[in-house]
Amino acid sequence: MHRRLCALLVAAFGLAAGCHDFLDVNTNPNGPQSVSANLYLPQMLHWLVTSPQYDGRFVGRYTQEWTLPSLTLATALPTTWDRMGYDAGSDNGGEQWRDVYWSLGQNLVDMNAKAAAEKRWDLLGVGLTLKAWGWQVLTDLHGEIIIKEAFDESRTTFDYDSQDYAYQEVQRLLDSAIVLLRHSDGAVDAGYLGKGDHIYNGNRVKWLRFAWGMKAVVLNHFSKTATYQPDAVIAAVDSSFQDNSDDALLQYPATSTDLQDYNFYGWTRNNIRSYRQTQFVVGLMNGAQFGGAVDPRMSRMLAPAADGQYRGVDPNLGGFGALTATQQPFNFFGYAGTAGSGLPARYLFADRSKLPVMTYAELQFIKAEAALHKGDQPTARTAYMNGISAHIDFVNARNLDAGQTPTQITGAEKTAFLADANIVPPPGNLTLSHVMSQKFIALWGWGHNELWMDMRRYHYTDVVDTVSRLQVFRGFANLYADNQGKLVQRIRPRFNSEYVWNQTGLSAIGALAGDYHTKLLWITPP
Amino acid sequence: MDQNPVPGIMKTSVVMVLLGMLLVAPHALAQQKTVTGKVTSEQGAPLSGVSVILKGTNTRTATNNEGSYSIRAAVGQVLQFRLIGTALVERTVGDADVIDVPLRRVALDLDAVVVSALGEATERRAQGTAQQTIRGADIAQTQRENFVNALQGRIAGVDVTSTSGVPGASASIIVRGITSISGSNQPLMIVDGLPMDNRTLNTGLLASDANSNTALSNRAIDFTNRAADFNPDDIESLTVLKGPEAAALYGIDAANGAIVIQTKRGTAGGGVQYSSSARVEWTGAKPQLQRVYGPTTVATDGTLGSFFYFGAPYPAGTRFYDNLDGFLRKGTAATTSLSFSGATADNRINYRLATAADKQDGVVPSSGYGRVNLTAASQAQIAPWLNSDVSMNYTYDNNDQVYKGTCGTISTCGSLLGPLIDLMLWPQTDDAKDYLTKSGLRRRLTGLAASDEPDNPYFNVNKDKINAKTSRVMVNLGLLVTPFSWGSLKTNLGTDAYTNQNLVLRNPESATGFSTNGVLDQADVVTRNLDAQTVLNINSQPLTRSLSISGLVGHYISDHKTTTDAVVGTQFLDPNFVSINNTNQRTPQPTIEQRRLVSLFGKAVLDYRNFLYLTATGRNDWTSTMPPGASSFFYPSVSTSFVFSDAFPAIGRFMTGKLRAAYAQVGKDAKPYAFRPALQYKTTSYGGYGYNFWGPNLSLRPEFAKSWEVGAEVSFFHNRLGLDGTVYRKVTEDQIVNDVRGSYGTGFILFNLNGASTRARGLELTVHATPVLKPTFGWDVVANWTSAGQVVTGLPRGIPESYVSDTWLYGNVRNGTMVGLSTMSLTGFFYLRNNQGDLLIDPTTGLPVRSNVLSGNFVDRGYDRQPDFTIGLTNSFRYKRFGLEFLVDIRKGGDVFDATDHFLTTHGLSLQTLDRDQPRVIKGVLMDGKQNSANPTPNNIVVLPSANPAYYTSMSEELFIERDINWLRLRDVQLSYELPQGFLGSRNASVFVKGTDLLLITNYTGLDPIVNGNTAAVGGSGGVGIDFGNFPMPRGVNFGIRMGF
Repeated sequence: MHRRLCALLVAAFGLAAGCHDFLDVNTNPNGPQSVSANLYLPQMLHWLVTSPQYDGRFVGRYTQEWTLPSLTLATALPTTWDRMGYDAGSDNGGEQWRDVYWSLGQNLVDMNAKAAAEKRWDLLGVGLTLKAWGWQVLTDLHGEIIIKEAFDESRTTFDYDSQDYAYQEVQRLLDSAIVLLRHSDGAVDAGYLGKGDHIYNGNRVKWLRFAWGMKAVVLNHFSKTATYQPDAVIAAVDSSFQDNSDDALLQYPATSTDLQDYNFYGWTRNNIRSYRQTQFVVGLMNGAQFGGAVDPRMSRMLAPAADGQYRGVDPNLGGFGALTATQQPFNFFGYAGTAGSGLPARYLFADRSKLPVMTYAELQFIKAEAALHKGDQPTARTAYMNGISAHIDFVNARNLDAGQTPTQITGAEKTAFLADANIVPPPGNLTLSHVMSQKFIALWGWGHNELWMDMRRYHYTDVVDTVSRLQVFRGFANLYADNQGKLVQRIRPRFNSEYVWNQTGLSAIGALAGDYHTKLLWITPP
Repeated sequence: MDQNPVPGIMKTSVVMVLLGMLLVAPHALAQQKTVTGKVTSEQGAPLSGVSVILKGTNTRTATNNEGSYSIRAAVGQVLQFRLIGTALVERTVGDADVIDVPLRRVALDLDAVVVSALGEATERRAQGTAQQTIRGADIAQTQRENFVNALQGRIAGVDVTSTSGVPGASASIIVRGITSISGSNQPLMIVDGLPMDNRTLNTGLLASDANSNTALSNRAIDFTNRAADFNPDDIESLTVLKGPEAAALYGIDAANGAIVIQTKRGTAGGGVQYSSSARVEWTGAKPQLQRVYGPTTVATDGTLGSFFYFGAPYPAGTRFYDNLDGFLRKGTAATTSLSFSGATADNRINYRLATAADKQDGVVPSSGYGRVNLTAASQAQIAPWLNSDVSMNYTYDNNDQVYKGTCGTISTCGSLLGPLIDLMLWPQTDDAKDYLTKSGLRRRLTGLAASDEPDNPYFNVNKDKINAKTSRVMVNLGLLVTPFSWGSLKTNLGTDAYTNQNLVLRNPESATGFSTNGVLDQADVVTRNLDAQTVLNINSQPLTRSLSISGLVGHYISDHKTTTDAVVGTQFLDPNFVSINNTNQRTPQPTIEQRRLVSLFGKAVLDYRNFLYLTATGRNDWTSTMPPGASSFFYPSVSTSFVFSDAFPAIGRFMTGKLRAAYAQVGKDAKPYAFRPALQYKTTSYGGYGYNFWGPNLSLRPEFAKSWEVGAEVSFFHNRLGLDGTVYRKVTEDQIVNDVRGSYGTGFILFNLNGASTRARGLELTVHATPVLKPTFGWDVVANWTSAGQVVTGLPRGIPESYVSDTWLYGNVRNGTMVGLSTMSLTGFFYLRNNQGDLLIDPTTGLPVRSNVLSGNFVDRGYDRQPDFTIGLTNSFRYKRFGLEFLVDIRKGGDVFDATDHFLTTHGLSLQTLDRDQPRVIKGVLMDGKQNSANPTPNNIVVLPSANPAYYTSMSEELFIERDINWLRLRDVQLSYELPQGFLGSRNASVFVKGTDLLLITNYTGLDPIVNGNTAAVGGSGGVGIDFGNFPMPRGVNFGIRMGF
């Protein structure tokens, strides 16, 4: 009896103190601390495509792709973004900031380190391209950004680096990526890369073209500076996408309960239900700006009104103005008000629609622009026509992604459109106005970052020549400058990252000023 | 311990010592006889549950319901009769076999036995720290299903806030104020020596919370705090150890104080106890809505454009429906409990078996709470030197709640509003009861998307669902070995294991469920907490003639683990079938949380002539949650008690009293997995891994609190008047703040950082008085007065503001605090003012400018939810067979944010929007650049609110934070009558009628100032005092009977 009791008590007492093994239960069982390098990739690629769309709600109002009118009042105070302002104390317009520093952030650092250690040159090449993309979109949106001191979790404040430095860094990263993506040695493996890459399924060559495409975009942004080299832009475009099959597109499976893998613009995500197309974009497609040539893409991209006509909303009104109920354009899904639940949508705006981050058409327009700057009309004209033709195919392809309602553009429609001299002028007569306006159509609804950069490069309303006074962006008007007459040039750094916690850094670049968003970018001098 | 084998024995020497102890033969025992007797009150009423102890031994029994006891004792030994609230009586066993004893109720008795840390019984005179005890009977008689709610007003320094008046609402209990800015401030709960889990489910464990679009963020929903599982009828006594000084021996988890519960044990002849009561509840307060102005936009077909009411006046003769009136129903509750207890004639074995059933239907439709408790406890004297003590407690409860408030503005989960807000928002010209179409679908009124139109309140409560079922077992095995005269060894092994199944339904047709065609959260929380504690007690040993020493050493080991199997499903197939199997898209999200703790502790008490005591304790904890090198920490405490009335007999002639002083340090660890980041599976396209929000902090250190208190306990008039006062000061340093934001340049969004500090001060005063003490009439008064304040003295990395994001639940107000502010402050987008304090007015709109317009920052305007003082006043009257008791809860000061009123104002429903046709100029100066000059431009812009509803819709929440809210609340009032003996064959019987929360007098204009916009799960100061769409505490009347057979 005694002995048994002793044993019991000893067992209770004998769970000895200070036993290291016993206390070693603090490794988080809910998630690994590090994973195989390719598993970092899917969510970063998701944000590569999706993050610009979050900010596109706001940037798209600066570029007048769309506007956010009151659906109940004919006129109202237009939203801050429709007035080229911003929302103080809000993270609106800060999504790419968040994703470059956090969603990519340390994940990209870890992935690249692993890829380098394991000689996975293809994955490392993709990683460096992503890194370059991050700095490029951030510096284009915000100007000065944190690069040198980034990802140091022990810092409490951060110094900003110049836009000049950002662009140098972007080019350095892209050059390295291009070298790496040419390699087929080491542990390069399309199967391994493809496990995490649902854009190109591990195809290294397509990523190489993507890196060249980015290089073209970046070099073309220098158009207003002394170092602009159109030949380098054209060469980069030629090394990049060969046709629409190279388009960098992400599919949205739309299977997650939290809707994170739904198309951001799809009805279910409820992000643009109240948005409406502008007069500006309708004017580019209904013939108003192109001598009466009605773009066959209009009825496949934009939304009609109840009466079947295509109209745009004047962003100055804050509402539908004089448009009667039957004249008011539907939402982008093709329905009145905010309706559209479970119904087939249009163009890019279905729950499962693919969204691009860069397209062949976009690059061809870039080539056309560079060729025009160089004075090479034939090259410009070919690229310009390629761009329009490719985008017509793109619209057709997108409208098949998720059972959308618009019909396909027929070959005859396409041929007729490209034969229209209002759209494709006779050789030698192509202008920047043609190229940039058609590029606007091709990037409308998704290419907000690039469109805004184009608009800032041409100061929104620059003219092609002082004689014709034809605007580069035909019909872009109704500017409601809410900033003592100054146009918007940049978005303030993300509020909840910087304005609350990094005031020291902001102060050094003058970002505490109320009109910081009107300060010209380094890359778009007057 | 299910993963690692039990580690090896620490040191062979310890084992040998133990073995040696146990092998010592027990002492031979002197000739014993059986002593019996009856213990009565001064009125002659039998007293049950009185401990009868053979002094200096572990032999004890208790009186039964007739006050009788029976115990084996030898002539010359001393019997002690102890009952909380009465003076200690000692009788030496002589020739007589019968010893009858009357006990006298006293306000304060220094010889009373009190429960100290580790559940050890000590004499009150030796206690150097503040603590307060309530009898279980006083808790049970409040008829509160959740016993935590019974504590409000009964203990100085304890503040209980129920989240809402819905059955099963969580209750937050705070001892001595909020000192942790972001972590839990709840005290440790100890039952029979081992911890009891009192967690409130955090919605972070729900799979839908992973995404801000569906996250509930502890806002729109509530779950019971787990202590509510406990049967209040099982509580023998409850002691609150208030500061770290008192709780130091409990170590790491007791930094916020400890609540020590002793459960009932059987007594000889205990018999059967039956009690039953029924309650009716109703809600008194009702919001007022304007009925003059109609909806802002109405289409020609009568469809509403929105639920804003800034439109034309209603035409004469418009039919109105009083939707508010018919919605809330009469609530009912019924409780039945039955217990059997008894003991063998020689008292070597006793038992108690108890069962209780509660059933409650709340005043809000579809809300309810049901609970079944089964309890068994038995003590046995196996050998003269060996006692066992076993208790087992099983609980099953089933709770249906309804939504409340909103999901908030940071994350917008559709238009999820609680039914109370829906009810107020619903057009008064429409009969809300008619909530379905003829085809059985949600009846809609607006042309808005289904996800943008707020739900009909009836639809909300009938079609949405929040259900939690809990099945819980607590087992505590105790062994007490007394193999030698100088001490004893006590071991407790326990488990607290429960399964908590939660189901949260957002109906496919509801505003919040529509986008995804329904959202169903299922979360099964499986908790198994294992604890073992061994204490070697060393009885008092004389050092010199006047100095003696006693003490203990102990060892504690725990392994607490919670596994949550959570899954969320969307895309319902059948809109009305509630099962995960009925959903087409599902995302599981299991979570495991584990923490282990190993501790060694000791205590020594020096006793100088029974009037001067010095107690020192030390404890070392090793926790699994800190980085290597920081996982071990030691903290001491020292306290002293000086019974000056014994030291100076001249004083003792007319009063008794003692002075006490104490100092303690206590450490606190981080939550599990806090310092090293992990990757999480991402739900974005094609999954993959990425870091969660939290960055690494490998240098995380434990935080420390230093606390001291001094106090005095004095009593006069033969203990008829007692005063107990305490002053304390507590400083926390290097506090760990969870979820601190930083620049995203770090690569992360949140960090867990050391570096906050707080300072708390307070004064607690308890007065016990027995103004009348006659055989037929008695009157007792207990008053608890508390005044406390806590300020933040530092924040990590010099951040300007720290807040808990869940509290940002309505508009732009949150529990933000800054250096120099109270831990209970509120920050927000408040109005800007010039140097003179005038409101700045926007020169274009004529409306005041809020802080977000310039800096975007949340600012402080001196709002503080901390009351100036609180008073809990209990009066008990006894007249012959009648008893009357009532508790009044009084609060002075402290701000409350009436977000409901702000919401009603911005929607044009508040009565204060009725003067909307009055043109006005807001007093202030224009923000035209001259606002801070010598001659600012006075505002002269006329605003007509009816033409410009922005006058209301852009109002700062600041105008709705009501300052200095006072209340006087009649918490409990009870009238009881003892029936004559033999009623229905019973040995004793009584009936009672009881009112709960019957009366509220307050200067608060909302429904009820006792609210929590979040739940008890939220850390820091949480959402206490943020009132948005919360159901007020209902008023209730109970009728009940208690009988003993």
